[in-house]
Amino acid sequence: MPKPRRSRRTLTLVVLVVVSLSVISLDLNGRTHQLTSGVKSVANSIFSPLRSGVVDILSPIGNFLAGAVHYGSLQAENEKLRATVGQLRTEQAEKGYEKTQLRALTSLENLPFLGSLPAVTAQTQEVSTSNFTMTITIGKGRADGVDVGMPVVGAGGLVGQVIQSFHHTAVVQLITDGESKVAVVFGNNITGTVDGQGPAHDMSADLVPPQTPLHNGEIMFSSSLNGASLPPGIPVARVNSFRTSAGASQATISVTPEADMSHLEYVNVVLWEPPA
Amino acid sequence: MSTRAALRVVLVVFVALVAQSTVILPVRIGGVHPDILWLLPITGSLLAGPETGALIGFWSGLAFDLVLPTPFGLSALVGSALGYVMGSATQAVDNRAVWLRPVAALVGGVGADMLFAVLGAVFGQQQMVQVNFLTLFAVVAVSSVILVLPVNRLMRWALVVDSNRRSLVSAQPAESGLW
Repeated sequence: MPKPRRSRRTLTLVVLVVVSLSVISLDLNGRTHQLTSGVKSVANSIFSPLRSGVVDILSPIGNFLAGAVHYGSLQAENEKLRATVGQLRTEQAEKGYEKTQLRALTSLENLPFLGSLPAVTAQTQEVSTSNFTMTITIGKGRADGVDVGMPVVGAGGLVGQVIQSFHHTAVVQLITDGESKVAVVFGNNITGTVDGQGPAHDMSADLVPPQTPLHNGEIMFSSSLNGASLPPGIPVARVNSFRTSAGASQATISVTPEADMSHLEYVNVVLWEPPA
Repeated sequence: MSTRAALRVVLVVFVALVAQSTVILPVRIGGVHPDILWLLPITGSLLAGPETGALIGFWSGLAFDLVLPTPFGLSALVGSALGYVMGSATQAVDNRAVWLRPVAALVGGVGADMLFAVLGAVFGQQQMVQVNFLTLFAVVAVSSVILVLPVNRLMRWALVVDSNRRSLVSAQPAESGLW
């Protein structure tokens, strides 16, 4: 192969790598992040309606593929469903799709831990668009008052926090994501943090001193200490197990989210921003 | 590459992006979904050489970055590298070999995901290395092998616009002068 050709190829790669690294730097830099965020926002404003339209047309295909992948479990589930079909018929009026949707929505009404905080209800459009993050995309954005940093709650407690806000959509980082850290308080004003560990591991509570009095099932609430990024009193997680290893500087605590993370069809975004 | 071919590649990238976020995203096995993105630079580089593969990887990565919550530009960086490496590594192989595309899709898909996770962690996104890699690699490997054939067909349609380029694409990818 001629050398000039190879040099041109290498030069192309070097240019692409340098441009990519520059774009990443712009995105990760707090001062220039607005630029990339703006580009993403415009792209999402164009792409979201288009995507919704295509989903409406293609959802039967997606459902078919999902059904094909989970054929074994669907077959077993089908057997169970057949056994209970008689019972279901009597409850048919209550089992309609609209009623299920309504139940999901009403479960978000009058969440006791929100008090007088204003909130907007949003429908989840996408779950974890990347295999490397645990996020949901919701159908409310800046136009509805949703902004970066706002807490998102579901039935039971905290679901996550808004990390990207576009015009009509927003991305919520779930508390189970490996990057999520929530300041919590529990028991007799004991503080700590609840850390997400990604999909492969249970969540954990850190920075809790050893021999702290705890019991399984104890609920941890969001804390208002140290300029916290969340309003106080939102249930975050429940203690699953705990122990203190000899010589450890903190207790090892496994926790589970207090919110039902498997039913996130609808969530509430709390219109609350941390005090300046 | 002719303007017509470039426009067709843009169309293919757009179709792949729509397919990923509508049909492919709901297909989850162990919480992991297939990833069509890496197949674009892989097939592009097999059809038209490392330079074209790198360029397709960059632009398709950038397009996918617009809708991903990961750092903007990360997919473009990995896509560029993937297209270049796959194109360079397969230059000596007969492009018509039946096994080439499935093997390239398997190795390239898994390798790209690994690089994506490691680079993400390097750029401060520690959660990207906290996933279940065994499930991830298994799902991505199998789905890439299955999806590479339709994606390759689309990419061939995009890149081989003129009939006189057909022979060049199959025989001498790097010499075709598509760019």
